[in-house]
Amino acid sequence: MELELTEEQSWISESIDTLLSREWVAPQDVSGASAVRRLQTWTALVEFGSFGIKKDSEDGLGAVELCLIARSLGSHLASVPFLGSAAVRLALAPQARSLPAGIAALLSSQDPIGVALLEAGSGWTVERAGTRLSYGRDGLKISGQKVAIEQLQAAGQLAVLAMLDGEPALAITPAAAAGLTRQAQRCFDETVLMGTACFDAVAVPRSSVLGGPEARTVLRRLMTAGALLAAAEAAGAAGHILELACRYAGERRQFGRTIGSFQALRHILADAYVRQESGWSAVCYAAAALDADDLQATQATSIAKAYVSRGAREVAHSAMQVFGGIAFTAEHPAHRFLRRIGVRAQQFGDAAHHERRLGRELAEHVSQARSALSSPVLAEAASA
Amino acid sequence: MAPEERRLREEVRAFLAGSAPSPADLPRSLDARIEALRGWQAHCYQAGYVGRAWPREFGGGGRAPVEQIVVDQELAAAGAPEFVNVVGLDVLGPSLLRFGTEKQRQRHIPPILDASQIWCQGFSEPEAGSDLASLRTRAVERDGRFVLSGQKTWVSWGQFARWCGVLARTEEPDPSRPRHRGISMLIVDMNSPGVDVRPMTQITGHAEFCELFFDDVLVPEENLLSDRGDGWKIAMYTLGHERGTAALPRQVKLRTWLDRLAAALGNRALDGKALLDDPGAQVSLAQAMIGIEVLRYHAQRTVGEFLAGGAVGPDSSSVKLLMAEAEQRLATTAVELLGPAIEQADPAEQDEDAFWEETYLYSRAASVYGGTRQIQRNIIADRVLALPQE
Repeated sequence: MELELTEEQSWISESIDTLLSREWVAPQDVSGASAVRRLQTWTALVEFGSFGIKKDSEDGLGAVELCLIARSLGSHLASVPFLGSAAVRLALAPQARSLPAGIAALLSSQDPIGVALLEAGSGWTVERAGTRLSYGRDGLKISGQKVAIEQLQAAGQLAVLAMLDGEPALAITPAAAAGLTRQAQRCFDETVLMGTACFDAVAVPRSSVLGGPEARTVLRRLMTAGALLAAAEAAGAAGHILELACRYAGERRQFGRTIGSFQALRHILADAYVRQESGWSAVCYAAAALDADDLQATQATSIAKAYVSRGAREVAHSAMQVFGGIAFTAEHPAHRFLRRIGVRAQQFGDAAHHERRLGRELAEHVSQARSALSSPVLAEAASA
Repeated sequence: MAPEERRLREEVRAFLAGSAPSPADLPRSLDARIEALRGWQAHCYQAGYVGRAWPREFGGGGRAPVEQIVVDQELAAAGAPEFVNVVGLDVLGPSLLRFGTEKQRQRHIPPILDASQIWCQGFSEPEAGSDLASLRTRAVERDGRFVLSGQKTWVSWGQFARWCGVLARTEEPDPSRPRHRGISMLIVDMNSPGVDVRPMTQITGHAEFCELFFDDVLVPEENLLSDRGDGWKIAMYTLGHERGTAALPRQVKLRTWLDRLAAALGNRALDGKALLDDPGAQVSLAQAMIGIEVLRYHAQRTVGEFLAGGAVGPDSSSVKLLMAEAEQRLATTAVELLGPAIEQADPAEQDEDAFWEETYLYSRAASVYGGTRQIQRNIIADRVLALPQE
């Protein structure tokens, strides 16, 4: 796996940083950013080409490039509907040719997409849902309730997990569809604009619904893409607060010394640096694996998501310890980073979710390897 | 994977399938074991798998550095014994190639490669561990020779070594100058009169390392590596090199141990239930795996700088910290999960239990050798984060 950035990738990363420095607000001002400002920043990102996602063999952005963008967004604490919009498109892109028309259309549009997977009390498994698709006169109808849809207020389209004939399916509907009521929802990080949606027999054409085995594939890939981008954004936020803490440690004086000269703090920051850099390595590796269509991509993503979810939080905690009391004031940006990391750590499966999954797979793999090893011996014994 | 890398991996696998001894097949007595391991390294050298990236003129393979990493990964994956001249290959050999004279390299590189002459490193002293610059071993120049006196410790394979790379003071300490000035690197023939080697038993029960005593040992002037006073520079190069290149093969070894642990848990039952089916055990295994895999991802991302220029930067300290963390987490997880079963003492599982107990004990050294965890943090704080000096 090639983990060094190409010149073009470095250019994308730098350009997005420049763009956000120009369009977006400083970390301490994020909660006061106006809707106009958010839209302006989003428009600039779209104009930059943040959704020119690679389809089949065409040129375009892959998982590595999207992770670089997500890292910058996390670093600037930008409040834009990127995560869902990019994750859905990244999940659909490999199947571009075989998708129903209404879903394939998302790949050529630049509409912000809200991801509606969760329901009250549900976890991050995409195998089942309480929300249902039923057959109506001219198509299908969605009924149910979804929660924790990020950027719901900004989303033009919603990607909804719902059961169709007892199987998980993915339906796409305009956020302004008749029968769909949206409500803002409280969130640990208010700037991600979380919301709930109630679907009261919302009509969707058949061509906007993906069911069967294809739906399972796309939903699994959506979980992978979402987890990866959420990890990338958490890594970006953690990187920035760590940088601020290092700068502070080099300036703040106590006991007649710069506090960064105390070994207790130097070691906290060194450990945080290792956590931060290795977390980013894990994101890069998983993204490269996803772009290469590597069989290990899903596992690598679970590793990256579990590791970064814990690691980014740890970095933020360490940074706050270095800042001391000042980071406990509302006007200081530290808690903004902590909040964003906390939300990204949860989305598309928290560390515990991915660890359970990796552990289960590891156990299943051993059982399989054992039966594979034992079968030829059994066959020999039978023939003898 | 590039086609040439795949070819190389397949070639090494075929070679190993035909000839790799399993560590369990090696003789039990230490002397016989070392002889067998010399033979194994020589065999691998003949096949082109030792010093693959070292210059051809000194017996190396002259290939790209990445090829040796690939070979070492395959050796680790197959559970092949480690090369007995590891100190020569990972530590002193690279320093000789970088700083040695033509004559020194001609003399010493070939016997490092085929393990006919084993090397050890005389760096640490009883009063100079993490604080290496406080070392006291002295080398006084007299009649065109150095007279060496002092004591070294933690000398791996010292009892089998023919040569030792020794850091010694060649100038009187001067309080007005930094302490790492005036240190030189000498190549010492372990057969010289006045060299006394005393093996030390480790907590694992093995005697892999020794104390060395130098009592007015005469060292020819031509055995000075680089210039007088270059010892510190060489030592830092050497330690960085060790940290930068060893991680990827070591990671593969840890991964094979993880799989071994999963298999062991599948074989063990507690209260009628396979340990491997326990959700808590599965999560612990997953956490150990995450540490091991992230080590690979990070080492792979940072090894690029080494492969490009041959110099290892401060990021090797990150890799070193992650490597110790991954190894210790795996070994601790193993004894925690197997612990109750080990207490049950099923005679059929004795070898497996002993392996994990030894692996656990050995893992405690991972955050001490080659620069402690605290020293690595200091390096990062100084050289990466540029924090104010203590």
